[in-house]
Amino acid sequence: MNSSILLNLTLRGLTTGAVYALVGMGIVLILQTTNVMNFAQGDTGMFITYLAFFMITTAKVPYSLVLILVIAAGAVIGLLVERFLMRSVRSRSHLSLIMLTLGLSLVFQGLAAFLFNTEPRLFPPLVTGDPVQVGPVVLSRQDIVVLLATLVVFGILYLFLYRTKQGTAARSISQDEYAARVLGIPTPSIYMLVWAIGSALAGLAALLIVPRFSLEPSFMGLIQVKAFSAIVLGGMDSVFGAAVGGLIIGVVENLVAYQFPAIKDSFMLIVVVIVLLVLPQGLFGKRQQRRF
Amino acid sequence: MFSPEKKRLTANAVLVLLVLVMPLVFWTKPSVIGYLNIAMLYALATQGLNLLMGYGGLVSLGHAAFMAIGGYTAAVLVMTYHVNMFLAILAGVAGAGVFGLVIGFPSLRLSGFYLAVATMALGSSTADVIKRLSITGGDYGLANIPSLRLGPWTLASDASRYYFFVVVLALVFLGVRNFLNSRSGRAVRAVRDSEMTAAAIGINVAAYKLITFVFAACIAGLSGALYAFTISYLHPSNFGLTFSIGLLSMSIIGGLGTIIGPILGALFWVMLPLIIGGKLTYLATVIFGLSIMGSVVFLPKGLSELVTRVQSRLKL
Repeated sequence: MNSSILLNLTLRGLTTGAVYALVGMGIVLILQTTNVMNFAQGDTGMFITYLAFFMITTAKVPYSLVLILVIAAGAVIGLLVERFLMRSVRSRSHLSLIMLTLGLSLVFQGLAAFLFNTEPRLFPPLVTGDPVQVGPVVLSRQDIVVLLATLVVFGILYLFLYRTKQGTAARSISQDEYAARVLGIPTPSIYMLVWAIGSALAGLAALLIVPRFSLEPSFMGLIQVKAFSAIVLGGMDSVFGAAVGGLIIGVVENLVAYQFPAIKDSFMLIVVVIVLLVLPQGLFGKRQQRRF
Repeated sequence: MFSPEKKRLTANAVLVLLVLVMPLVFWTKPSVIGYLNIAMLYALATQGLNLLMGYGGLVSLGHAAFMAIGGYTAAVLVMTYHVNMFLAILAGVAGAGVFGLVIGFPSLRLSGFYLAVATMALGSSTADVIKRLSITGGDYGLANIPSLRLGPWTLASDASRYYFFVVVLALVFLGVRNFLNSRSGRAVRAVRDSEMTAAAIGINVAAYKLITFVFAACIAGLSGALYAFTISYLHPSNFGLTFSIGLLSMSIIGGLGTIIGPILGALFWVMLPLIIGGKLTYLATVIFGLSIMGSVVFLPKGLSELVTRVQSRLKL
């Protein structure tokens, strides 16, 4: 394949990867601070996207407002989930917490299918217009928006985690929850904040990727699997790692899909298992001693 | 009145009788028996998962892949290579067991979230690989699989299969119970509760984890093989992540770490959409989700905890 195709494939892969990164960053943020692996991340986003769909098609709300509303809706859902579901079972085993979020994802899927039925709907893209051509590179406007949005989100997350009091508190909780409480950090409100941010990211990611698929209750399933792969690749303890992992997966997957379309989905999954076995701390995770 | 043993014996006898006359009760509605059969097959696969998660403490988000391996191995052997059906089912079980050994290896190094992601990856890619192979019918699925045959008898009707499955289910459940009460079973539970303690008292942690994985995979493989000859149609997308999560839900709702949990969970899973039926079917998914959350928060042993409570209330 020649270099311009390669470049285009890479860039297109980056936009897909950006969405994996957005979902993955939300998962890692919640995982790191609250120690909950959120299997409902994708379906939270799916449900919010349904709300956005009806805002756009039925209520004719302008896109910019929808974007804000989607983020707000995600934040509210995150707050509610933390306050009324996760808080009461904080001390349970990892397995119980995984099961809880799996239950939550089933609730979202069932609700979406029940309220809005399962037939696939076409979601209008955020921005329309001809693809933009820069030199040999052709990118659709939607892809550019996705890339920019991911960059912005990543920047905001970085500023939040490293430049604000709450972000520092969240990081300290992820290091040692007990010590953080001793130091007077109000852990419950930090948990709520982190859940709000994580779920808002879920909504945003789903809204950005949905024009490429069609809106149906299961459309986030595969994306969530990829996002999990991304955070495994990046090492589960860093938001930065999840972002890079997502981009890598998006690019490699797109290149593989060009040459060997049949193994597109399985290839990355196998890579993930190998990474887990050979390099359990991922690319950017801290090396840990084996604990029992 | 009655002594406790007598009461328990009577209750069990009534239960067995109920199970045996079920096909006669629903004689006019064979579809109900068909659904009961499906529930029993799911219960079988769920028992494997229950063994793995409830007793072994190992998460699997790819359990449906074992069913797929068992089902496809048995079906392809019978249809393409004309192998005796009984041997084909055994081969399906063995194939799933070998696959369980392969998938079990990550569990030696990974735990918790990591194992969940690894099994999820392996499970979804298995379904994907089956979709690409030509011998399995690929994306068209494998249709016209012959109906279950036992030596000279063909189990074509739902009722005949029902009795056969009851026997299989009882045997497997007895086997699992006895395994868990044996030396090996106690070792498996010790590994779940604390790997370090188990290793310190001389339990070979790695070996027992692999044994649990292989055992669980074999049971799921048996379920898959019987499923293939019952439904007569296999499609890889039926065994993807969604169904793995379904099996997980059944085992949680029924009650992890209880022997009867898988039956209760599978019955709940299969029967609820039928009972609420019609346009409300999707509401069943919501109820499943709520039941999972409810059992995690309020009933850690799921539906079987309810059964135990009723039992103690009735002083059975």
